[in-house]
Amino acid sequence: MLWVDKYRPKALDKVLVHQDVAQNLKKLVTEQDCPHLLFYGPPGSGKKTLIMALLRQMFGASAEKVKVENKNWKVDAGSRTIDLELTTLSSTHHVELNPSDAGFQDRYIVQEIIKEMAKNRPIDTKGKKGFKVLVLNEVDKLSREAQHSLRRTMEKYSASCRLILCCDSSSKVTEAVRSRCLNIRISAPKEGEIVKVLEFIGKKEGLQLPPGFAARIAEKSGRSLRRAILSFETCRVQQYPFTNNQVIPPMDWEEYVSEIASDIMKEQSPKRLFQVRGKLYELLVNCIPPEIILKRLLYELLKKLDSELKHEVCHWAAYYEHRMRLGQKAIFHIEAFVAKFMSIYKGFLIATFG
Amino acid sequence: MQKDIRSWFMKQHDKEKDNGNAPKSAKPTLVIPGKTSTAKDASPSPPVKPVQGGQESSGRRRTSKYFASEKQNQEDAKEVSGSTSKRKVEKSSADVKPPPVKKPHIVKDDDDDDDDFVIPKNGKPSAEVTPSKKMKSGSGKGIPSASAKKESNDVDDTPATPKSGGRGRGRRGGAAGGRGKKLENDETGDGDDEGAKEVKSAGRGGRGGSAAGGGGRGGGRGGFMGFGERTAPPNKGQKDVPEGSPDCLAGSTFVISGTLDSLEREEAEDLIKRHGGRVTGSVSKKTTYLLCDEDIGGKKSQTAKTLGTTFLTEDGLFELIRASKRSKVTVKEETQKQGDKITTSLPKPSPQKPSPQKPSLQKPSPQKPSPQKAVKNKGGVHERSDSLPWTEKYKPKVPVDIIGNQSLVNQLHDWLKNWDSNFLNGASKGKGKKPNDSGAKKAILLSGTPGIGKTTSAKLVSQMLGFQTIEVNASDSRGKADSKIEKGIGSSTANSIKELVSNQSLNADVNSSKHPKAVLIMDEVDGMSAGDRGGVADLILSIKMSKIPIICICNDRYSQKLKSLVNYCLLLSFRKPTKQQMAKRLAQIAKTEGLQVNEVALEELASRVNGDMRMALNQLQYMSLSMREIKYDDIRQRLLSSSKDEDMSPFTAVDKLFDYNSRNLRMDERFDLSTSDPDLVPLIIQENYLNYRPSSIKNDENGVQRMNLVARAADSIANADITNVQIRRYQKWQLFPSSTLQSSIIPAALLHGSRGTFEQGERNFNRFGGWLGKNSTMGKNYRLLDDAHVHLLSSLQFNLGRTTLCLEYLSLLLKHMTDPLKLQTLSKEEAVEKVVEFMDEYSISQEDFESLMAISKFQGRPNPLDGVAPAVKAALTRAYNKGSKSRVIRTADLINLPGIKKAPKKRVAAMLEPIDDGVVGDADVAQNDENNSDAEDLGDGDEEKPKVDIESLSSKGIQIQMGSKATGKKRPPAGRGRGGSDGAGSSKRKR
Repeated sequence: MLWVDKYRPKALDKVLVHQDVAQNLKKLVTEQDCPHLLFYGPPGSGKKTLIMALLRQMFGASAEKVKVENKNWKVDAGSRTIDLELTTLSSTHHVELNPSDAGFQDRYIVQEIIKEMAKNRPIDTKGKKGFKVLVLNEVDKLSREAQHSLRRTMEKYSASCRLILCCDSSSKVTEAVRSRCLNIRISAPKEGEIVKVLEFIGKKEGLQLPPGFAARIAEKSGRSLRRAILSFETCRVQQYPFTNNQVIPPMDWEEYVSEIASDIMKEQSPKRLFQVRGKLYELLVNCIPPEIILKRLLYELLKKLDSELKHEVCHWAAYYEHRMRLGQKAIFHIEAFVAKFMSIYKGFLIATFG
Repeated sequence: MQKDIRSWFMKQHDKEKDNGNAPKSAKPTLVIPGKTSTAKDASPSPPVKPVQGGQESSGRRRTSKYFASEKQNQEDAKEVSGSTSKRKVEKSSADVKPPPVKKPHIVKDDDDDDDDFVIPKNGKPSAEVTPSKKMKSGSGKGIPSASAKKESNDVDDTPATPKSGGRGRGRRGGAAGGRGKKLENDETGDGDDEGAKEVKSAGRGGRGGSAAGGGGRGGGRGGFMGFGERTAPPNKGQKDVPEGSPDCLAGSTFVISGTLDSLEREEAEDLIKRHGGRVTGSVSKKTTYLLCDEDIGGKKSQTAKTLGTTFLTEDGLFELIRASKRSKVTVKEETQKQGDKITTSLPKPSPQKPSPQKPSLQKPSPQKPSPQKAVKNKGGVHERSDSLPWTEKYKPKVPVDIIGNQSLVNQLHDWLKNWDSNFLNGASKGKGKKPNDSGAKKAILLSGTPGIGKTTSAKLVSQMLGFQTIEVNASDSRGKADSKIEKGIGSSTANSIKELVSNQSLNADVNSSKHPKAVLIMDEVDGMSAGDRGGVADLILSIKMSKIPIICICNDRYSQKLKSLVNYCLLLSFRKPTKQQMAKRLAQIAKTEGLQVNEVALEELASRVNGDMRMALNQLQYMSLSMREIKYDDIRQRLLSSSKDEDMSPFTAVDKLFDYNSRNLRMDERFDLSTSDPDLVPLIIQENYLNYRPSSIKNDENGVQRMNLVARAADSIANADITNVQIRRYQKWQLFPSSTLQSSIIPAALLHGSRGTFEQGERNFNRFGGWLGKNSTMGKNYRLLDDAHVHLLSSLQFNLGRTTLCLEYLSLLLKHMTDPLKLQTLSKEEAVEKVVEFMDEYSISQEDFESLMAISKFQGRPNPLDGVAPAVKAALTRAYNKGSKSRVIRTADLINLPGIKKAPKKRVAAMLEPIDDGVVGDADVAQNDENNSDAEDLGDGDEEKPKVDIESLSSKGIQIQMGSKATGKKRPPAGRGRGGSDGAGSSKRKR
């Protein structure tokens, strides 16, 4: 088993980072009724871990007895019926699902399926709580309509159901939904905390860590604990015993993006843009989400860019990212960004160096 | 007329020849015969020519050499008309061509002032020169009346044909940098030549001035473009397009090459056709002129040179046309004077040798009389015109009349003729064998586009052979239930439909083996629609048992409906008649109807209607109602809209949008192009817009401007995507035009130009839009990832989203799955076992393994499976398959519930439900365990619990095969209960 999974804390008492949050949560569920919760924070900060631990705190170990269901739903939407397929993880006390998987039809999931689930009171009377919990992942990816339908559900069925929402950025969750939840911000762990965790794992695994090695991994991880642990294990698989100058391998796709970035910096021409398009397609085809590609690309470009241009380039990246969400064909927008960048950068180069 | 013009040219050429001057300089100018002659007389010195050459073709000097020959021809022509009287007669009889001479002169007089205003430089010399010239010409000829005559002509002309005269003049005067000036200059030049050398230089100066002023061709043209990249005409729209008599170019064949000075190629083509000329694509012996303003050395000019075709500049063409107008007018008014004039000009021809090209040049003359004839007929025909549609009236009466497809008609004829002998007499028993023989099919299927005479041929042929035709077409119900042709043929059941009746009776007749034979014509068989259910099958049946020939007619032979029918029919595909064939027939008809139409116009009509004779006739008749004389332009206008109906592939549409000349497209045309396929066109544009070199950018060494345009185009395309979402998702179809604008028209407008390639050896054609393919691959990969994700989830070791899986887990998962296989330190078995163990732990199936590999592979980067020996891979598969028997995959889609074929609606991930209290108890224990100790105690006491689970499961009747591998089998149930402790246990075991 991967270390990330193996050393994931199962209980609120066991968490190594965000201990304060964990304690508060514990108090919250033991001492009083639990409100709707909205966890938000960067990836790899431990939202999911906390949620699972919280559920366990609420329902005991039975919350971990989950089954995976891949269910087909037929939703009546006025004149036509819509077929939806949705994977859920459910125990007797909670259901976890990812409504944004349904793409632009997520509205129906919220309107019909979630409502359906929320309506049913838990049968299990032995449960400690009189409600069941719906865990919704990636709420920030929900469309606006879906979020609007969500808020009604949250009020109407609050007697029998609690929602735990989980997302990366609360800015993409509507005000209405946010105000109905207790917002819990899970910040990215500090590098020191990551180092601590890595050393803990190292100790458990009986590994010899050269001094500073964990710190390097932590630094590379971009303060994502998950990333840190994963690359820690990758290093372990790659080479053990560790050496001090061991390379911490980046993810394949990240390497690929930085390749694209250097391509763009090297030459700005329609031909190059065409090649870049091919590579972008490659990333998209390999299931890398377009937002992440764009963000990463910007990050890589910024590393190599004159500070004069940074502001403008960031502006355009944000501009196109926004439009990408409005649109459907992500590649068009990323390509438009690259074209824009090339045009700006080329103009800049010529203005500067003639 | 043409002759005359040529004759001007000729003289100079001759001179040149005589003098051995450089051929280059000999460009033809608009020399008035009279004057030219004087010029020659006065100053036969060689320098004259260079001047003229320079004047006329400042920008196109290269071609001028070839114009020399033209001159020669003209001279020949003149020689032919050597005797005044002869010439006169010719002229008057032709009634069409006036001597070109006069007009220019007149014009000059009128225009002098204008020109002066426009271009001072020009004006001066010309003003000075003109009078002298006139004088000289007069004096040189020794006929004092010449100038007077001209003037009188002038006066007469104006009133006589106010329209043409006025127009011509006005145009001239108005064209600031255009035509009038040029003429002026030419004449000026002539004058100079005649006068003296100093004057000549002045004339040259004037020339240069005009060029600089924008009228000249050379001025605006920086460098000439390579062949194939046609640029816009340098002086586009700056010249007045002349209007001449409609037939002035009749009989001449033109080939256009390169860029013209002020006309787009299409415009030039129109112009020529409008005046009765013919435009072809390549140079051949029949070509009269090669129209080009620059010698780009392409294939056309090469051929033309070898064939000795005359070169003509745009200006030359204009002059030809313009001259025709003038002369026509003049001729009518003052035949007598003209005659005199010609006489005066006669002396010039002097001794010249006839050139071989002469015949071609003279061709035009014989054709000219035709309009007159037509006019004559007009009156008579008009009276007897009746109300019958022409399509009926001029239906072919005999097979030979049918236009085109003669061989097919003959085939039809033969088939019908031999039908009886083939199928009725003696051969009828052998029917069974025969259908294979193509000649012996019992029915015939004529196919072809509408209006090309299928039905007509069928009827005609039948008629000719004495068959009685029974026609059944779409207006008759032909459904199986109703028509029952078989019954009609086979039995005497009364059937309401007429063809059955006739069939029956005919059948009887045939059986009695005498008398009128019948043929059944099934028209529009592909039109059998829902109302004619079983029609085709029924028809086939009829064919099989028919005792009369059946002719089926359809438009689309490849129609799905006719698939079964074609096996029983002899197939004859009618082709569209060529436009020449059609034009010929149309001309006959027009003549009978007293319509005055020239052949070119009819050809245009023929090509516009796309081979549909019926439509052509209808159009012609319609037009005949309002006019007696139909010109090229009328047809063009009338049919402009109707020609658009053809299907266009999205590629063609994109080509047109991005075409170099697309700037001339109107907005509605662009819109039509873009929406010819509103889904594909934007995609193709998106795929290819980078390849175009925008023609709107001239000097862009470093490509910044192009990049800027590309960025704008990309932005617009992205915009279109957003708009499209609004359209499709929220049904805001009112945004459709805007989406079209953004996705297609704007990018095309920004970047239109010539297409270039990026890679060596790439074909320079538009690629198909890549998005569709990529999108479907992406969809597939997402599905695969989803599957793998579900499997991973069900392992309960993992509870993260698929994005996380893809972004972060994938590398490590792959490492775990592939690295052991690559390691040399491990034996094959060990490695394989390790991998399989890992896969089991995360319940990754073999398929998942492959899909994860595929997803993590990037083009141009090493495949994660590289370095894994095939033997090892095979071993892995084997090991996995071996294990799979003893493995309960936790995912439901791998378990088929008995009796359910399809995947169950509700796919239970782990069929093994966490069962009842026992498990709960376990869970509690586990919880306690974990509470006590997180890591250290992991696994303690775990060993037993999985077994308990398994037992309980098996007691439930779910069969689980237990293999030798503890982990593999244990995992599922244990996982359910408490993933954490179980995981710890297994890891412990691993260790």
